[in-house]
Amino acid sequence: MAALDLNAIRAVVESRLATELATAPPIPVVFHNMAYTPTPGSTWVQCAVSFGNNNYLTMGSTAGASNSVIGVVVLNIFSAKGVGSGANLVIGKRVRDLYNRIVVSGVRFDPPTGPEVVATPSPEGYFQTQVRMTFETFEDL
Amino acid sequence: MAFYRGEQGSVKFDDAGTTTATIASTRSWSMTIEKDVLETTSLGATYKSNIGGLIAGSGTVELIYSASSADETNTFIKAANTATDQGGAAFELFLDTAGTKKIIFNGLITSADYSATVGELEVITCNFVTTGTITTSI
Repeated sequence: MAALDLNAIRAVVESRLATELATAPPIPVVFHNMAYTPTPGSTWVQCAVSFGNNNYLTMGSTAGASNSVIGVVVLNIFSAKGVGSGANLVIGKRVRDLYNRIVVSGVRFDPPTGPEVVATPSPEGYFQTQVRMTFETFEDL
Repeated sequence: MAFYRGEQGSVKFDDAGTTTATIASTRSWSMTIEKDVLETTSLGATYKSNIGGLIAGSGTVELIYSASSADETNTFIKAANTATDQGGAAFELFLDTAGTKKIIFNGLITSADYSATVGELEVITCNFVTTGTITTSI
């Protein structure tokens, strides 16, 4: 019973993705607040974990009580421009399957949204889709 | 002025009516104390008069299912489905974390609503009625 370790939750999300994208065919993955200069026309994935709403779950004060902590994972998938969407969606399926309704170390992932095509890719010069999923974990004080 | 918030509350229970223990994962409780009203209006009076009669209480405890079995929680959520209930279970409904503001009574759990909905926490709602004295230490 302790306050949540936010970095432990972040690690649950990121390590799962890093392990998957390290398998063949390997794809570079970039996490929050990391510098990365992509090779033009290459394929890569950007992962951002953010924490959002915290809510009371049960009665109690700083001991014997539980909170709900909600977060969101945003995965931007970049692939070569002008060659169709198939290769991008293959990656989209890989990352979507990683989290879809899965519970890992107490982190419960909701069904993912996407891959949605991003009309204005950032950075430019890529075909970009985005997969998003919320997650919830319980903090037992 | 001191105000209280719901998270400061809690519920304790003991089906044997002796040493109460905290019900885990309680989300809310509510209780209504009602007094019968007996009319004593005299013949020819213009206005009604009443006196208080018998007092009884009833209420609800809502908790999140956690499969807790190390305390009274499991007994609490199954109490509605027990036979020969003499109404001797001890209840304590707390309004503060210090445990000094509370409503104490014996009673029985009359119903339990179990529910599971996709994407939501599983919630159990237990309804109770009192038996005998109700002490309001609030």
